[in-house]
Amino acid sequence: MSRRVRLWLLALGGAGLAALLFAACLELPGFGGDRHPYGERAVRESLARRTANAVSSVNFDQRAFDTMGEMTILFAAVLGTVVLLRQTRDEHRAQPAPAHVAPPVRRYALITLPVALLVGLYVVAHGQLSPGGGFQGGVVAATALHLLYLGADYRALERVRPVGLYEVGDALGTSAYLVLGIAGVLAGTAFLANTLLPYGTFNTLSSGGTVPLLNAAVGMEVACAAVVLLARFLDQAVEIEENAVGTEESGE
Amino acid sequence: MNHPSHLLPLLVAGPLLGAALLVACGSRLPRAAAEPVGCAVSAATAALAIHLALQSSPPLVEWVGDWVPRDGVSVGIVLVGDGPALGMAALASLLTLAALAYSWRYFDEPPRRHTGSYPALMLLFQGGMCGFAIAGDLFNAFVFFELMSVVAYALTGHRVEEARAVQGALTFGVVNSLGAYALLMGIVLLYARTGELAMTQIGRRLDAYGPPDALVLAAFVLVLTGFLVKAAAVPFHFWLPDAHAVAPTPVCMLLSGVMVELGVYGVWRVYGDVFAGPGGIPAADLHRALLVLGVLTSVVGAVMCWYQRHIKRLLAYSTVAHTGLFLIGVGVLTPAADGGVALYILGHAGVKAALFACTGIVLDRYGSVDEHALHGRGRELRGVAVLFLVGALGLAGLPPFGTALGKALTEEAAGPALTVLFVLVSTVTAGAVLRVAARVFFGLGPRPEEHAAYETTGAGERPETRRRLKRVPDTMSAVPALLLAASLAVGVAPGFAAAVEHSVSEAGSAGAFTSAHWTLAGVLLGLTSTLLAVALAALAVTRREGLPGGAWAGPLRRLQSGHIGDYVAWLLAGAALLGALTLPGVING
Repeated sequence: MSRRVRLWLLALGGAGLAALLFAACLELPGFGGDRHPYGERAVRESLARRTANAVSSVNFDQRAFDTMGEMTILFAAVLGTVVLLRQTRDEHRAQPAPAHVAPPVRRYALITLPVALLVGLYVVAHGQLSPGGGFQGGVVAATALHLLYLGADYRALERVRPVGLYEVGDALGTSAYLVLGIAGVLAGTAFLANTLLPYGTFNTLSSGGTVPLLNAAVGMEVACAAVVLLARFLDQAVEIEENAVGTEESGE
Repeated sequence: MNHPSHLLPLLVAGPLLGAALLVACGSRLPRAAAEPVGCAVSAATAALAIHLALQSSPPLVEWVGDWVPRDGVSVGIVLVGDGPALGMAALASLLTLAALAYSWRYFDEPPRRHTGSYPALMLLFQGGMCGFAIAGDLFNAFVFFELMSVVAYALTGHRVEEARAVQGALTFGVVNSLGAYALLMGIVLLYARTGELAMTQIGRRLDAYGPPDALVLAAFVLVLTGFLVKAAAVPFHFWLPDAHAVAPTPVCMLLSGVMVELGVYGVWRVYGDVFAGPGGIPAADLHRALLVLGVLTSVVGAVMCWYQRHIKRLLAYSTVAHTGLFLIGVGVLTPAADGGVALYILGHAGVKAALFACTGIVLDRYGSVDEHALHGRGRELRGVAVLFLVGALGLAGLPPFGTALGKALTEEAAGPALTVLFVLVSTVTAGAVLRVAARVFFGLGPRPEEHAAYETTGAGERPETRRRLKRVPDTMSAVPALLLAASLAVGVAPGFAAAVEHSVSEAGSAGAFTSAHWTLAGVLLGLTSTLLAVALAALAVTRREGLPGGAWAGPLRRLQSGHIGDYVAWLLAGAALLGALTLPGVING
């Protein structure tokens, strides 16, 4: 199609769909109403299982099966990235040269790193109590490690980040979630049933039954997945180069 | 002992756990261990799916996490274990097993220290498909829709060394992601109206709300757009041939054999559970929409199929054409038609996967999938030739293949006018495949003349094996043979067809039982399309100068431009068309 025809088709289809959506939005319930059929039920069930953070109760208890799928999507995306960004035959690895880092940047990064790491772990551990949880905390913890790339250089990052180990961590985090789910079946109740552990005391770290465990599994999975994902892209950007025409595979 | 319904989530968790363990041990595991583990896990899941399917009357229902509804409401996720759901899960699992067995030591260059990654991706794909099949909750269906999409993109682009593979996977990714966003927006609208996510609950609340309005229509259009993108219905289909042309052959077996059909299944499931009531979309409107899109899809697919010389693209378009027929069958909205479509899907999966498997052997031996360049070169592959030929006849609907039985039952339910279309579409697609068989494996007819016109030839492809095959490994020829046998069994196994029909009508709301069996008319129609296909292929093979009507199909072929922008424009136009087709009932309702 020529550009002109394409734009016409796009405009026509877009206009039709926009009109439909506009008409649909007029029928939506009013903004800020007091009718929340699902919300009320979810909060009630969350309190019954002594999980202070109702969002975590939805994510890791009431609809934990969705979270299993979402976690697996991340796992699959990372595995797909590992496969697609592999070093192919016509590429080789080059050692990146150390880069100069301005001392204030270096100092700031090295001071922030442990703080950020701790915050990440805190957010994972308190998922059942306060906003946050495995997904959010995992990303914070993974990003913390990469402050080393900003503050020092790529080789320093590579020393604290054996990618192979994080890949195993990614897979083990996923497995842990699945095994916790299967434990329910083995115990004679249902998959991912939150009936195996005592619900604990409301608003303390040990509350919510399996919610903290599932949170920890997801936290581990997400942190490792983010590290592996960034590592693969950094590898492509920093280390892997295309071979000049006619040269054989070098490097490892 | 557990109630069988508690085992339903294991259809998803089993393959996912297998994949996670394969990745965890990936660096230490030799390839010879990783691949059997993958096969064992997918086989165990298939066995579980079949075991549960045998107990699925009355249908199994499972609330994950034991969130059984109290006072009619629940905060949890429901899984549905009825015949169609477990049948699709079993089909997905069996095809995954076949694809894994077929690719035994198949791929060149697994990523270094990641020997388990390919079987792991296949298991994740299987888990996603099973999860989608048994989802009774609309948002949960979306999650697994996304999981199978993400894995399919990665598998399609597996041969990243080739620019074409990256392009095909990217197109696939962009178009299917847009479909997923449409689906999600539709779910948002339904949730805003009803506060529910379980499909039957949404349907009940919609009925309680009153007659359908613009919101219901928009939600219907958006949800269906998502599923129809996956089902590759025209005009959402452009991603499919581009992806099939570059995806590794075992992946094509899964994409064409079951993933696309899951889109059709999604349409069937979501209409029956959510939109079939008085608060949903009137049956006449769904019938009109699916009939128009189905006829368009099958005609475009058949015409495009006929004019391909790249064998994998040719088979891909035949899938598009058959999806159109499935959509027409679902649009008929009778239990008899649904049962026919279910049998057709089962029969088609075996035949189509077998045809792809044979094409893969050709590719790995000759480094080409170009019908013209391969003229007569396949003579030495006698066994493969027979399999390919049998597959082509199965595609045409030769009795007693499952395809023939399913097609006959659907035709009977759809009426005489549509029967003509069914016969023509299966004639043209099977004729094209028979033409390929005659030229490549038997060297019949003159070598076709080359044209200057630009087209995707399929020459100069890289084999997917480490080096070109000198002899065909036993696994690679056993898999298509078994798949064809399975497709045959769908048609002849006593009681199988009746059991499928029964479970499909039990799952549908109609509840009227029909009995599926061969009829004289059905057998004659199957024989007719087979004979016509043979005649068509013979006509094509004897001509030297191109294919008849080539000039006429030119504009249609140019629409498949490879430009992602074009495909996106078509997607929007298709969604608007779907809205226009369903509008009358909502206005009058």
